[in-house]
Amino acid sequence: MSYDTRVQEFVTAFEGLRSEVEKVIVGHREIITHVLVGMFSGGHVLLEGVPGLGKTLLVKTLAEGLDLSFSRVQFTPDLMPADIIGTNIIVEDADGRKHFQFQQGPIFAHIVLADEINRATPKTQSALLEGMQEASVTVGGVSRALPGPFFVLATQNPIEMEGTYPLPEAQLDRFIFKLRVRFPAIEELNQIIERTTQPRQVAVTRVMTGPQVLAFRELIREVPIATTVRDLASTIVMATHPQWEHAPEVTRRFVRYGASPRGAQALVLGAKVRALIEGRFNVSADDLRALAAPALRHRIILNFEGEAEAVDADTLVGQIVDAAETVIVQGKEAFLR
Amino acid sequence: MSETRAVPNAVERLVRQIVSQVRWRRAEHYALRGVFWGVLLAIVPLVVKGPFAAWAVPLAGGLVVAGVLGGLAYGLSRRVGAVDAARLADRAFGLSDRVTTALECGRRGDRGPMVEALIADAIERAESVQPRQIVRRVLPREAKLLPLPIVAAAVLVLAPPVPLPSARLFERMVSTAAEEEAQERGDTSMIEERARPIPRDPLRRPAFEERDFAARAATGAPSTAGDLSAIFKDTSLGSQRPDFNSFLKKGDERLKLLERMDRLPDLQTDFTTNQYKMVFRKSKELKGGLRPDQVSPQKLREILEEMERLGRKGGANWSGDAMEGMEALEYGEQDRAMSAMEKALNKMRAAQERARSGRNLRGGRDGKGGDRGQGGASPEDMDFGEGEGLFPGRGKSQSPKGEPSQRLRANPYDVGVEGESRRGKKQGYDTNLTGRGGKMDSRLQYLGVIGQYRKMMEDAIAREQVPRDYHTQIKDYFQALDER
Repeated sequence: MSYDTRVQEFVTAFEGLRSEVEKVIVGHREIITHVLVGMFSGGHVLLEGVPGLGKTLLVKTLAEGLDLSFSRVQFTPDLMPADIIGTNIIVEDADGRKHFQFQQGPIFAHIVLADEINRATPKTQSALLEGMQEASVTVGGVSRALPGPFFVLATQNPIEMEGTYPLPEAQLDRFIFKLRVRFPAIEELNQIIERTTQPRQVAVTRVMTGPQVLAFRELIREVPIATTVRDLASTIVMATHPQWEHAPEVTRRFVRYGASPRGAQALVLGAKVRALIEGRFNVSADDLRALAAPALRHRIILNFEGEAEAVDADTLVGQIVDAAETVIVQGKEAFLR
Repeated sequence: MSETRAVPNAVERLVRQIVSQVRWRRAEHYALRGVFWGVLLAIVPLVVKGPFAAWAVPLAGGLVVAGVLGGLAYGLSRRVGAVDAARLADRAFGLSDRVTTALECGRRGDRGPMVEALIADAIERAESVQPRQIVRRVLPREAKLLPLPIVAAAVLVLAPPVPLPSARLFERMVSTAAEEEAQERGDTSMIEERARPIPRDPLRRPAFEERDFAARAATGAPSTAGDLSAIFKDTSLGSQRPDFNSFLKKGDERLKLLERMDRLPDLQTDFTTNQYKMVFRKSKELKGGLRPDQVSPQKLREILEEMERLGRKGGANWSGDAMEGMEALEYGEQDRAMSAMEKALNKMRAAQERARSGRNLRGGRDGKGGDRGQGGASPEDMDFGEGEGLFPGRGKSQSPKGEPSQRLRANPYDVGVEGESRRGKKQGYDTNLTGRGGKMDSRLQYLGVIGQYRKMMEDAIAREQVPRDYHTQIKDYFQALDER
C-alpha cells in the first residue's frame, strides 16, 4: 500500500471518527480535533471546563466510536491508588488452596476517563503517572503492561477549587495537551437542547479499532519535518524560559518556569498529526502555531507578577510564538526574512 | 545549485528562480551603495580640477561606474542558501514548508516512502505555482542620501576649480598667529606670575588637624590643636549666608569624625549623665509659670516618683518630701504636692551644690530672702550634715541612741519610733511613738499606705540598704502590724 493511500486512509478514519463524535457532541469541533490529535500522537489529554459542557460525554462518545475498552474513574478525595491500579486479593481455587491473584483496576482499559481528576489526593493522582508515561503499572513488585493503545482523558473543573488538589507540574507534564472547553454559543446550545430532549437516541458507530490506532501512530511518526521548522519548535519552547538569553520580554516578565522538552515533543508530534489531517506529508510552521497553545499552556508556570495580572496563558503562548519566529529570522539577511 | 540536484524538476526550478531573485535584489542593493560611495569619491577630482586638468570629469565618472559595478559584482557573487530560498518560496506561495522539507529530505540518502510521497507532492505543488517576483527590494541607507553627492558632483562639474590655499601661505598664517599669542602672553606674564597661586599637590588632602577651626569659630569654645570636638563647636556658619556646598563639606567632615568613636566629644554629658539635673529640668518645665492647679498631676507624680527614687538611691534627704508630695497627690491636694516638690528640689539642688563645691561646707540650702545657713531656715526645712541626724550612735549626741533630730521636734507630722526588746516567755519588741505626731491622729489611711511601706521595706532590704542584722526585726515589725 502506498503512503498516499495510507495517509488518505488515516484522513478518512480521522474524519469518520470525528463525525461520529460530532453526532453526539454539538460544537467543540476544535476540542474534538485536538482530542483526536492527542490520541493519535500517543499522548493523554486533560480537558478543563465548567460542569455541564459535555467533557465526559465527549470521552464516552469517543470510546464508543473506537472499538476499544473503556473505563471511567470518578476521582474523589477518598479514592486510593489501589482503586485505580488494582490489588492482589486472596482467592480459593477448586482444590481449596488459597493464593494471591491480581485484581485489575480500571486503569487496565484502552481509554480511561479520569473524571474530575483534581478531586483526588496527590497520592492517587500519582498512581496514574507510571501508567501514563510507561504504559505499565507495578503492583507487588510485578510490572503489568497496560493494553495498547492506552489513552487517558482526564477532566477537571476550574471553579469550585475548594477541596481539590491541583495537579502537580510533573503530572500536568504527562498530558500532551490541555484543552479548555468553552461554553457553547447560543446556536450550539439550541442544537444541544434539540438533540438531548428528544426520545430518539443517537447511535455511535465504531469506526476504528485498536490496531488501526497503533498503525496510524506509527505512520504519524514518519512524517518528516524540516530543520527550519524543527528549529522553530525548539525556539518556541526555549522562548518560554525566562533564563534563555533570547527570551522575549513577555516571558522574562511573567514566566517563572518554562516548558519541558516534553513540550517540544508534544508540539512536534501534534504537528505531525495535524499535517496528515491537512493532507500534507510534512510538518509546517502553521502546525506548530496551531498546536502551541494546547501543548504549552499547562507547561508554563507564571510568576507572581503574571498571576497578579491574571495573564492568560494562551495569549502568552501566542506572543512567545511570534517572538520565536522573530528570533529565527533575526540573524538572516533582509532579503531572506 | 548542487544542493538542489537531488530534487529535480519543478522544485529545483522554483528554488533556482528564488535564488536568482535574491541575487538580483542583492545586486541592486549593493549597486546603490556602490553608486553612493563612487559619487562621494568622484567629488574629490571634481573639486581639485587643477592637477587632473581635463581628466577630472572622466575620472569622476569612472569612479561612479566602478562603484556601481563593484556593488553589482559583490551582490551577485554572494552565496544564497537553497534552504533559505525554499523557505521564501514556501511562504510566498503558501506551500506550507513543502519545498523546504522536500529539499532537505531529498538530500538524504535514506529516503523513506513518506519522503518520496512528500517530494512528489512538493513537485506537483511547485509546478502549479505561477512564477513571480517574491523577494522584496531592500534599499540601503545610502540610497536616501544619494541625491546629495549627485547634486554636489553636478555643481562641481559646471563650476570652476576651487582655489586651494598654498602650503607657504598656511605656514605664514600659522606663524603670525603664534607670534600674536606670544606677544599677548608677554604682556600679561608679569601679572600672571604675581597672581598665580602657589602650586599645590591636588591629590593631597589637607589634614583635619591642620584646619583652624578656632579662628573661624565666632562663639565656640576655644579648642586646642587636634581637638576633634572643635568642628562641632564651630558655629561660624550661623552668621554666614546659606551655602549648601559649604554645608555639605562641613557635614562630610563631621560624618567622618563620627567614625572615630574614640575621639568623639561627649556632647550629652551635661544632660543625660546627671539624673538630678534631668529631674530639676523636668520640674522646671512642668511648673513653667503655671499655677499649681494647672499642672498635670500625672507628670507631677512621675517627677515625684523619680525624685523619691533618686533620694532612696543616694540616701539623700528629699525622699520624704517626695513621698509627702505623692501622698498629697493621692488626696488631690495638688498645692501641697507642688510645695513638697519644691522642697525636695531645693534639697536636691543643695546636695548637688555641696557635691560640686566640696563636702558639707554649708549645710542646708538657700534660706528665705537669700539668707543662707541654719539660722535663716525654718526648722522644718533644716537639712542635716554628714554624721548628724537620725543615725543612732552617730552625730553630736552623746546618747547611744542618738539625739532625736530637730526636725522630728519641729515637724508636727513626723513621728519617731523608740523601742526596746522584751525578754521573757514571749520575746518581742515594744515600741513607743515619740514626737508630736505620735499624739495626733494619722492623716493617712492606714490600709492605704501600709502596703506601700511594706514594698519600700522589701525594696530597701533587697537593695541591702538595711544592715543584715536588722532584717528580721523589721520583718517582725511589719508582721506585727499585720496582726493588729
